[in-house]
Amino acid sequence: MSRPSARKAAPKGEYIETDSGNKVSRRSAITGTANITLGGRTVIMADVHLRGDLHPTRAVPSSSGKDVTPTSISIGRCTVISTGSVIKPPCRISRGQVHYYPMKIGDNVFVGPHSTISAISIASHVHIGDHTTIHPFVIIKENVKILPNSVIPANMVIPSSSVVGGRPARVIGEVGEGWGVSGGGAGVGGGLGVGGGGEKSWVEGGDLRELVRSIK
Amino acid sequence: MAQPFPYTYYSCDCYDSKITPNPSKRASQPPPADDEDERTFDPRNPRSNYSLYPLEHLLYCEDCQQIRCQRCVIEETLNWFCPSCLFEVPSSVIKSDGNRCTRNCYNCPVCTSPMTVNSLENPADPSSSGGPWILACPYCHWSTVEIGIEFEKHTGITSQLTRIGNGGKAIPTPKERDKERERRKELETMKKDRDVLSGSEDSPTTDRGRDDGPPSHDDIFSNLSAFYKSQIASQTPSNPFSPHEINFSSPSSFSRIMNLYSSTTSKKQKREKPAPMREAASVLEGLIIHDPSEDAAAIERIKKEGWSSTLSSTQKFAQPIPTIRFDSELRPIASLLCTKRGKRCRSCRHILSKPESKITSTRYKIKLLALNHILRLSLRALSTTTIQPGTPSPLAFDYNNLKSGIPTHFLLHLSNPLFDPIRVTLATPSTTPGKIQSRVTILCPQFEVGANTDVWDDALSSSLSPIKKPTSIGPDGQPQTSIEAGKIWDRGRNWTSVIIEVIPGFVGGIGFSVGKSDPEDELDEDEDVLEIPIFVRLEFEADVNAEERGLGDSRGERGAREKREEAFWTVVGVGRIAKM
Repeated sequence: MSRPSARKAAPKGEYIETDSGNKVSRRSAITGTANITLGGRTVIMADVHLRGDLHPTRAVPSSSGKDVTPTSISIGRCTVISTGSVIKPPCRISRGQVHYYPMKIGDNVFVGPHSTISAISIASHVHIGDHTTIHPFVIIKENVKILPNSVIPANMVIPSSSVVGGRPARVIGEVGEGWGVSGGGAGVGGGLGVGGGGEKSWVEGGDLRELVRSIK
Repeated sequence: MAQPFPYTYYSCDCYDSKITPNPSKRASQPPPADDEDERTFDPRNPRSNYSLYPLEHLLYCEDCQQIRCQRCVIEETLNWFCPSCLFEVPSSVIKSDGNRCTRNCYNCPVCTSPMTVNSLENPADPSSSGGPWILACPYCHWSTVEIGIEFEKHTGITSQLTRIGNGGKAIPTPKERDKERERRKELETMKKDRDVLSGSEDSPTTDRGRDDGPPSHDDIFSNLSAFYKSQIASQTPSNPFSPHEINFSSPSSFSRIMNLYSSTTSKKQKREKPAPMREAASVLEGLIIHDPSEDAAAIERIKKEGWSSTLSSTQKFAQPIPTIRFDSELRPIASLLCTKRGKRCRSCRHILSKPESKITSTRYKIKLLALNHILRLSLRALSTTTIQPGTPSPLAFDYNNLKSGIPTHFLLHLSNPLFDPIRVTLATPSTTPGKIQSRVTILCPQFEVGANTDVWDDALSSSLSPIKKPTSIGPDGQPQTSIEAGKIWDRGRNWTSVIIEVIPGFVGGIGFSVGKSDPEDELDEDEDVLEIPIFVRLEFEADVNAEERGLGDSRGERGAREKREEAFWTVVGVGRIAKM
């Protein structure tokens, strides 16, 4: 069987897989595709809305002649955006004009279902629980766990290795030293329950490659 | 419970092991059954709250060969930083300025979210600096306008805020305060002299006229501290041995003086008691005189403005002055500093974890995790194993809805992070502790878990000898037939899984308790959570520790192996039992 025909069989699935391994759901709503970069092996689930059309307008130098496509959302590797989430670049009104700022999401970030995210920067290994709202210009550092149903107020900076929750969110603890460490290479063998318990074969804040692989 | 079902907690026995009485004394006591019961770990015991941890929070001391939890480690602070601006604060500044950020980091006194500096500039009449500026909360929209504070600059908020009181009044600096106190004292002494001379009684009225309101918290504090300083100074005898002032409040200098005395002078002189210090006697010395009119005013205010103008206790306690009552007295809260800490074993002082001291770095120089030394247990419902991954199962197991009285099979998965194969013995009480008694049976309590060898070994070995899988799977996908007591369910390179049979108990009891509501039968919060205590005992042969080998090198040869044993309690949270 030749390759193109094998490709043709693929569209039956839920996800479109790109060359770099990104899996984008057919049922996701992505606007302004040119302004979005995905790092590879990143999953965009169904009903996710990526607002790439809200890109920075000020930064483009018109004098150079060639149009530089501004980036509005850049997402790293092995990041999972769960169903129903909205990723919208933060904006600020300055002198009567709305300005959007590019947002950056790092590697191995898990965004829980039905979250709304407007952060300016989310570092790597961040776990965001479901139904979380992140207001504009929030900065989230590495190894942060955000509990479900939290609301993170605008401009908040969350230092690394903290657990955050509440409405408005505040730092309520620290993740343990072993956060995100999958125990002794156990991930591959069992295929089940190597986390704190349960059915997932991945660890919160750890490498999400296994999770990405399991999504089909 | 913060963790979703099913979860596993590991018990660190650091506290209980210290208070365990002498076993020989115990043996003499008549009922050994009690003893047995006491040794069974009860996850519902209030004390268990403090000994159960998720595995990722535990460290492991390689010298003591024990789990180390947050209670049995010593923390040492590496550095301080502000969680908001992420600047490091040197320890000298901590000592002088306290544990709050002195930059522009403030939290909302109403809702605790971080505040931003906003401009109140009038676009029609722009000012040169862009000001005035305020601190505003983006979450609840409280701002310093409500307490009448505006800033001239958008930087150095802390220094500006220390100079402005609520309502825009200037707060005197400590120096100004001292000057003012001196001035008033002089006035008072002059007045006293005059009173003595003239004998007139008009002093209270003149005093009132000069006073503008009751003294502030800072005023009282500075008055009191000045008073005590003067008292200490008057107590200090002029000492020929120290040319500069000796601070009596410092214990080191005090003991030094005492030593001087004991060596040179007689005992009697040493024993001589210092005259008792006088307490503050006037407002200028820091005395607070209760003013009933203040209380009356507060009551009037609550009458007029209602409860909404008062503060909740958490809001009060977050304030620098926690005795305030009304929202007009709120001050923005400077953000508390965070620390980066290293951890040491409490018994052998070895470093267990040491993060890199740079604030931005999240790496560790040393990190001895229990994850890499302790068997990892995890539980899942058996029925879901037959469902292919990927296809969303319509009948995903509901851990929050366990059916009472129906035997349910769970898969207990044990994975071994060690490089040696281990023998595992599991034990559990046959009924779970608590009011709802569920029956628990581990079908195979003794088995081996393979070594954590190279991942490729697994791939190669599995292709040579495929893992024995249960063959007889029923038409409904339930592999009921192949569950056998005494046999493991499945195994892999470094993991083994066994079946646990659980018969969840009945919520509210199975007895005929119709019509009566016994308070004993009332369930406490989370009483319907099914938690199984499991005792885990490991046996394995490992290479003798490098240090121990060095000590006993005369006997042991290289590559000597020693038998090791480890035992600990775990608690597996299975789920919530459904109400009947």
